[in-house]
Amino acid sequence: MTGYYAQLLVNGIIAGSIYAMFAVGLAMVYGVFKFINFSHGELITWGAYLTWMFSSPPFSLPVYISVVPALLITVGIGLAQDRFVYRSLRQSNPIAILIASIGLSYMLRNGIRLCWGSDLQTFDLPLSTGILLGGIYITKIQILMVLSALLFFSILYFLLTRTLLGKSLRAVSDNIELSAIMGINMKKVTWTIWVLASVFAGTGGILLALDTSLDPMMGMNSLIKAFAAVLLGGAGNVWGALIGGLFIGIAENISVAFISPDYKDFISYGLIFLLLLFKPRGFFGIAGGVR
Amino acid sequence: MKKFIFSSIALLFLISTGSGMAGDISVGSVTPLTGKLAVYGEGFQQAMLLAADEINAAGGIKGNNLKIVFEDNNSTSKGSVSAIRKLITIDKLPLIFGPASSSNFLAVCPIAQDNKTILLAAESAAAAITKCGSYVFRVFPSDLLQGVGVAELTNSLGYKEVVLTYVNNDWGVGLAEVFKAEFTASGGKIIDELPHAEGKTDYRSEILRMKRHNPKAIVNLTYIKEGATILKQAYETGLNVQWLMGSASKSPKLIDLAGKASEGVIGTYPTFSQETPQYKTFKAAWDKKYPGKKTPVFGEYNYDMVKLTALALESAASESSDDIRDALIKASQGYIGTTGDKSFDESGDVNASYGQWTIKDGSITDYK
Repeated sequence: MTGYYAQLLVNGIIAGSIYAMFAVGLAMVYGVFKFINFSHGELITWGAYLTWMFSSPPFSLPVYISVVPALLITVGIGLAQDRFVYRSLRQSNPIAILIASIGLSYMLRNGIRLCWGSDLQTFDLPLSTGILLGGIYITKIQILMVLSALLFFSILYFLLTRTLLGKSLRAVSDNIELSAIMGINMKKVTWTIWVLASVFAGTGGILLALDTSLDPMMGMNSLIKAFAAVLLGGAGNVWGALIGGLFIGIAENISVAFISPDYKDFISYGLIFLLLLFKPRGFFGIAGGVR
Repeated sequence: MKKFIFSSIALLFLISTGSGMAGDISVGSVTPLTGKLAVYGEGFQQAMLLAADEINAAGGIKGNNLKIVFEDNNSTSKGSVSAIRKLITIDKLPLIFGPASSSNFLAVCPIAQDNKTILLAAESAAAAITKCGSYVFRVFPSDLLQGVGVAELTNSLGYKEVVLTYVNNDWGVGLAEVFKAEFTASGGKIIDELPHAEGKTDYRSEILRMKRHNPKAIVNLTYIKEGATILKQAYETGLNVQWLMGSASKSPKLIDLAGKASEGVIGTYPTFSQETPQYKTFKAAWDKKYPGKKTPVFGEYNYDMVKLTALALESAASESSDDIRDALIKASQGYIGTTGDKSFDESGDVNASYGQWTIKDGSITDYK
């Protein structure tokens, strides 16, 4: 019986590390530009679909190579979002930006449908039984998921605390006008944020697709979990997003022991409600900003 | 000039209502002749026309020719609705053959029912169609019957305790209810019962719950995509059981998606004998009219539907839909078509016999 709970906990950590990767971009964009990017979910979907495209005919590249062009294009989409939509709206009413991001999300999602259809797709990977570790089954892809999350967050930590770029990023999220006056290169900071958000979302999407399958709604569904994680960690807080993501992943997987698994999404939706009602700044969002 | 236009319009109306010309008895058909179901629609149409030709060659209905007015629905619900509206309001037909695919059929059901127009289905399986109304009939067995079929399969394989999982929608819940009632009544025990959402990509939590009970067999009433994902992830999680499934997952696509994880699955599907004289007559007639062409998917059901309709029209007291409806119910009792007994029950459904399928060496075969 303990094996059962241990397996649930491991599943939770795996799911949580992916949620955290989705949440971090959302948190960073909010931290600096102060809006919730609804089209963030589509970066997840595009990352996954592009990798799938490059790994199937006519390209037929091995998956680990197709990740490279796929992520490059995903980053391109992320930068294009900012360049063509959000930059022009930066000084306008926040509602306008929010609506624009919802519209962008629809456009990108239906672009997927246009290119590859609405049907479920899978990577043609050989099927194998997971590795048995002390009574717990874990697949190679799942190990890769946790390791990638660890690696990406370590790099992010290093970037934010040890480099000038990271430090200016944190400064900008603290006070955008003051940072500009102090001579911080805003263009470079904006660029970095979108690149980071796209790479995290795209990589997470690829891993999720390798683990399960691809469908045009995958990003949208994951975005809800990312929202919950960001709210829990405090909007704009990168480390809060990490802890929030892990918390939600573990909570919803453990909940399966008590409620029907079909209703486990209830946990993240319920959390969004409770947090907005009682702790709208999150548990770690002391003052907001990229920390 | 104005007068001329008006009289032209009046003339047009006269012509367009001319489908009820002397010597013809017309019925309508909403058929997917374009769109994604067009590949099947052509076959349906050919099977229906084969039946109509035979009826007319044998003297027609009360000396009149049976004519089927085909309306294309572009394979969509929207197209089906406009097609049936035309057949009801402009052609004023009392009986219509409904469109393929349950969702298209369900879209036109209420329109037929409200207009007291008889609607027949030859390919739609959704359980919800049973509740469509008193003017709706189908010669294709309802999915609900599958619940019974799967229970019998489970018993025949000697599994007394199973875990039950099903798609959490009207179809799945209805099917699971029937299975449960049937299986427990015959002394079986359901260790755990859990619904799973449609269209998810991760069912690992559900699988863990199933695995917790160490079942020997799991009854999984689901579709192709969901079925494949569950089989695959169960395999990865080291869950080694006998999977029992319905006909909704019987497809080569299941094997494409789940690969070797689908090996050994056993399921049921509605079937009919190809050894009956009725089937042999149909086959011979088909080969004569369409030489070199394979009999289409559900062609036999379409053929039976038209044949049964002709019997009803022949014996109906008048051309009113209520009279035809009474005659249809009466004519169906004990009627044996190419696809077996087509006696309508009180909700307009037919009975069926079930075959068993399994996946062996990467392909679907009959389970013996």
